Amino acid sequence: MTAVVEGTGLTKRFGTGDATVVAVDSVDIRIETGELVMIMGDSGCGKTTLISLLGCILTPDAGELRIDGERIDPVNEDLSVIRHEKIGFVFQLFHLLPYLTAVENVMVAMDIASTKTNVAEKRATELLTQVGLSERVHHRPAQLSGGEKQRVSFARALANRPKIIFADEPTANLDSRQSDNLMNLIQELRREYQTTIAIVTHHEGLKENADRIIQMKDGRIVTT
Amino acid sequence: MKTLFLKDMRYRRARVVLTALGITVLISLILLLGGIMNGMRIQARQYVESTGADVWISAEGSGGAFIGFSMVVEEYMAFLNSGPGLAPDSASPLVFAQARPTVRGKSSKAIVVGYKLGQLGGPKQAVEGRMFTRSNFEDYRPEDPVPYEVVVDEKMGLEIGEQITLSNEKVRVVGKAKSLMFVLDTPLLFMDVRIAQKLLLGNTPHVNMMIAKTAANEQPLQIAAGLDALETIEARTLKQTLTDIIAYYVDEPMKAVQFLRVMLWLAAGILIGMITYVTMLEKTQEIGVLKAIGGSNGYVMGLLLKQVVLISAVGVVLGLILSYVFAAAAPIFVAINFVESIIVVCISFVVCCGSGYLAARKAIAVDPMIAFRGEI
Repeated sequence: MTAVVEGTGLTKRFGTGDATVVAVDSVDIRIETGELVMIMGDSGCGKTTLISLLGCILTPDAGELRIDGERIDPVNEDLSVIRHEKIGFVFQLFHLLPYLTAVENVMVAMDIASTKTNVAEKRATELLTQVGLSERVHHRPAQLSGGEKQRVSFARALANRPKIIFADEPTANLDSRQSDNLMNLIQELRREYQTTIAIVTHHEGLKENADRIIQMKDGRIVTT
Repeated sequence: MKTLFLKDMRYRRARVVLTALGITVLISLILLLGGIMNGMRIQARQYVESTGADVWISAEGSGGAFIGFSMVVEEYMAFLNSGPGLAPDSASPLVFAQARPTVRGKSSKAIVVGYKLGQLGGPKQAVEGRMFTRSNFEDYRPEDPVPYEVVVDEKMGLEIGEQITLSNEKVRVVGKAKSLMFVLDTPLLFMDVRIAQKLLLGNTPHVNMMIAKTAANEQPLQIAAGLDALETIEARTLKQTLTDIIAYYVDEPMKAVQFLRVMLWLAAGILIGMITYVTMLEKTQEIGVLKAIGGSNGYVMGLLLKQVVLISAVGVVLGLILSYVFAAAAPIFVAINFVESIIVVCISFVVCCGSGYLAARKAIAVDPMIAFRGEI
């Protein structure tokens, strides 16, 4: 198998002097194509920092990162291009733009990638249909339930056909029924689009959906 | 999605409308203040130009025409009326003094213009009624029995035969002159120069200036320079006199207004910069999310700047329109110069966009990590 994301010796510190916190400490990680990985651990163990490093939102203080086989140079490369070309993000609090409808929220990701509006609208509508929201395409986030918002969020993450989707606690604000539905959807989307997915979660009940569990503690990977 | 920034503006329409309105009011105030000053300059010019004089003469050290007082003695008159380069017998004495006449029981403001009927300095005929009785100015006699008569501005609303009080004396309105308001819509009261001296200058043989025409084919600048070279006389051309009168009656007293205009410009810039910045602070989460999902700084900046440009453009254009509406309704003469207003609008637009740009630049420095925290 080939690795979509491969990090070697990834380290991230916050603060200076005595107040320095090593959020991610010399982590080696490899996520294979098509995998559904769950990154678990206690609060503050560095899960979100790790996916921020792997998703090119943060730049590591040490270590090397490869995405889709290419070495990332955070100093000389425009990381925003990597983010919209190769990575999709799903956030715990959905973060849909309140003034846009569901379809427009999905289109934004394609707008960033300079996709033509008519092409973007067609794909956004298809993706929303895929996630079961064909009837809610023109609804604003305020008119959607938590589960529906998270579906729109997944559709947005898929919009630019990313190599990998990082989801940060995607079920944290959903009830158990909505969580189950979302996990079923994730499995479905993964089969449909052969997308690699890495999910950060506390939710022990989701473990059974994962191909692999990465357990973190104090900024390090303890089991994988 | 070309309309993304418009959708955001529509969502925050209350703030957008208030910002645009703020700019509108500030720009219209800037233009109105400029229009008031412009109106004052036009009114200051129009009387001076209407006299038809080429050379303006005052006594050396008097402070100049329209400002100080000059003693007029027969020798002056004789010299000027036969003077080198001046049209024969064109020299005419002129009193130009601010006064507070009582009109229909109310104190009002006016400029008294005292001149020799038929000569330079005032109208030759009335548009209604008749002109005042002429004195024999050259034959100066303190007890001169000339009647107290005045020709008033047709827009003062006075009737022929009415009386106004000037320096405790009753003066009869005998005619109306074509309207020719001075600075800040101050009406002109035309009367014989001797009556003006009696009422306003303590019946002394003083005038504010002598005015004259140059002889045919003579250059006013050279003639004025020749007269000015004499030790006892200050002489100015029409152009120089206009510069003096505009400086004295408009530019000097309106320095504070000029300062206020600059302050208003700054206020417009600060207003849009501040509102843009506050709006950006409200949107940091949103900006962070856009960056997290791959939006470059340029992309986010583009969205913000489009809003700033649109709000600024709407604000300044509405300000321009509103200033013309206010100017038409203003109780004083306001002359907004179109070219000047376009320049003001362009500069204001740049100031607003500039401050909005600075605020937006600060806002796009948001760390995309913020997307993992808090709510939009």
